[in-house]
Amino acid sequence: MTIKLSAAGNVELTGICSSDEGEILLQHLLATPNIMVDWRGCEAAHTAVIQVLMATRPKLLGPPASVLLEKWVQPVLAATMDK
Amino acid sequence: MNEFVTQFVIESRELVEQATAGLLILEQAPNDAEQLDSVFRAFHTLKGGAGIVEFAAMERAVHGAEEILSGARTGKRALTTALVGECLACLDQVVQWLDVVEQTGEFPSSAAKPEAGENWLADMLERNAGVRARAATALQFIPDADCFYQGEDPLARITALPELLALDVQPLVAWPSLDSFDPFKCNLVLTALTAASMSEVTAHMHGHSGTCETRTISPLEIAPQDLALPSQARDILDAQRALLNYATPGNFIGFVASAGLTAANVLRSCARLEAAAIVAQATEKSLIENSTEPLRNCLSQLFSPKPAVDTETTRGSGRPEAATQTLRIDARRVDALVRLTGELTVAKNAAGHVAKLAQEEGNALAGVLKDRQVILDRLIAELQESVLGMRVLPLRSVLQRFPRVVREMSLNLGKPLTLEIEGDNTEADKAIVEMLFEPLLHIVRNAVDHGIEPPAERAARGKPSTARIGLRAARQADQVIVEISDDGGGIDVARVREVAQARGVATDEELRQMAEPDIIDLVFAAGFSTAAKVTELSGRGVGMDAVRTAVERVGGRVSIESRAGLGATVRFSLPFSVMMTQVMTVEAGGQMFGVPLDAIVETVSVPKTAIVGIGAAHAMALRNRTVPVVDLAAVLGLREAMSGEADATIVVTSVAGHFGGLRVDRIGQRLEVILKPLDGLLTGMPGITGTTLLGDGRVLLVLDIGELLQ
Repeated sequence: MTIKLSAAGNVELTGICSSDEGEILLQHLLATPNIMVDWRGCEAAHTAVIQVLMATRPKLLGPPASVLLEKWVQPVLAATMDK
Repeated sequence: MNEFVTQFVIESRELVEQATAGLLILEQAPNDAEQLDSVFRAFHTLKGGAGIVEFAAMERAVHGAEEILSGARTGKRALTTALVGECLACLDQVVQWLDVVEQTGEFPSSAAKPEAGENWLADMLERNAGVRARAATALQFIPDADCFYQGEDPLARITALPELLALDVQPLVAWPSLDSFDPFKCNLVLTALTAASMSEVTAHMHGHSGTCETRTISPLEIAPQDLALPSQARDILDAQRALLNYATPGNFIGFVASAGLTAANVLRSCARLEAAAIVAQATEKSLIENSTEPLRNCLSQLFSPKPAVDTETTRGSGRPEAATQTLRIDARRVDALVRLTGELTVAKNAAGHVAKLAQEEGNALAGVLKDRQVILDRLIAELQESVLGMRVLPLRSVLQRFPRVVREMSLNLGKPLTLEIEGDNTEADKAIVEMLFEPLLHIVRNAVDHGIEPPAERAARGKPSTARIGLRAARQADQVIVEISDDGGGIDVARVREVAQARGVATDEELRQMAEPDIIDLVFAAGFSTAAKVTELSGRGVGMDAVRTAVERVGGRVSIESRAGLGATVRFSLPFSVMMTQVMTVEAGGQMFGVPLDAIVETVSVPKTAIVGIGAAHAMALRNRTVPVVDLAAVLGLREAMSGEADATIVVTSVAGHFGGLRVDRIGQRLEVILKPLDGLLTGMPGITGTTLLGDGRVLLVLDIGELLQ
């Protein structure tokens, strides 16, 4: 399981998050409104997972572990937060 | 179509008009905050309307334009000609959709494709100006909703694009509320810019599931309004361009960097910030590619003679907002009212006849009846006048379409133009206003295409490089005058003479006897067209004769005035109100004639034997009344009186209380026509009250029954 609740009370994304984990992430976010998402350990995330982040706009704890995520996906999410 | 949608279409059209007018003003005065607000509000309301009727594609398209305007409002980006063009293109798309909705009552299925009508590319480039210089290909990828099930990871695919420069990810449709959000359904639009070539991108995207649109990005372009620079600035820029010619491998970096920096500084000092940024990017590109080409091309653009667009609409100072008390009425209802009024006139005429009969018979009520009849007469005349007044529209609805048309012509033909519109409040009958656009467009096209000289030629003749097209409308007594003037070269009389001769429009002999204005008038003759070169604009086989036909059909006249080297003016004289006359067509002696319907009492078919000769004339008995009968074909001299045959078709008419019968071969249909009085040689011809053009272009002579039966 790469998506789980951390000891600090955040949702934690670690390693490679696959497509079916979008659902799990969504459940966490729905269960606890305003919960933070810590993706500092995330090495890759499937579009489905990113899409959940875009739709729910949680506060993110970053930067993510992967350069690709940091360079391309983080700005997209940041732009979503601005709206 | 349901009521909401009908309302949506009507309102959207008004908003599109408002936004178009505002955008054109903004193009000239980008700092007009009031106009910008008004345009922004129009787009915003359009989007809202689209949201209410759930027309998602339009909502998205308008949203794109709204974003641009929003940026301009907050000062984040300047509203360039290119951006105004994008907004106008968006409105064009909206109008197309509205047309489809109006015709079919359905939202167009083609609009279901989200990329339709959206100018994502321009938007993307605008937002990522920093990488503009290096971008070679752009793509927009909309993965299928179920692509996750197919093992697709669209984001990963796009971030792995070779030489990715910029990425934007947006929801395809607005995110639903979280409890109804389906994490397994892909709802994204991914837009990317890359330095990789089109073929590389296509290869990379091979096998994707969804729709993917790729576009090659054209080299940097500098906005046309950035080209007008002070001459000293141009000199310095030209020197930088020349400097690049002397770059050698040894001094390359120094030369390019200094030329680029100097050029960018010059542009910055002239407040051409966008152009300066483009030059800076081109410099960077030159340095990276180790070639002077990008910078040289970029600087050359500054000197290319692109036309500056100068479209202008006359703007009433502080035009009051539409707070007037108006009702929206379906035009068909007004037309029905006009028709009914016509019927009422016929009924009134019949009542007048009854009054007369009563008088003849010495009836006691005859006097009262006559009095009432006079009042009725006056009231119905007033009614007719006010009903026709309802059909009156300002010419604005036609004239306001021209700023856009002229703007496009100017860009397409490379001829800078100013359009001056005057008198767009002038009113005319709806039928006139509606027919006016096509002929006007044709004249304006001709003026721009053939009349206005290319900028170089204008300069040689000492004229300002920006040509002027004038559209003027004014009311003169019961006429509406519309003039289209230009300050071009005027009509080449010698050329007209030549062409008229070559195309057999007039013979040598005729031409020799013609005065100059008559020769110029030949451009309206059928089969005449002076276009030496068929361009996209004019010369599509429809000549000026079509213009004259269209104008004459509503009872107007067209004339042309030309002064060599100074320009030409085409003048339409149109009737203010179009009196529609109802006629019934009849055939006699193989020709068709019109009989005014209000003169007709009935049509009967009688045996030939019922018509008896009385002296030299004929008559028949109809309901105990003797009715004189005239054979229409014979009286018009088309052939001898008919004989033989079993039955005769008689049109029974009543004019000023006198009954009469017209024997015809056949009865045609009822028509509503615009009666044109006889002129020229036909003036005063007995038995004919006027003419009208039939739909197929034939002339219909309308009979004067009173005169015929005398």
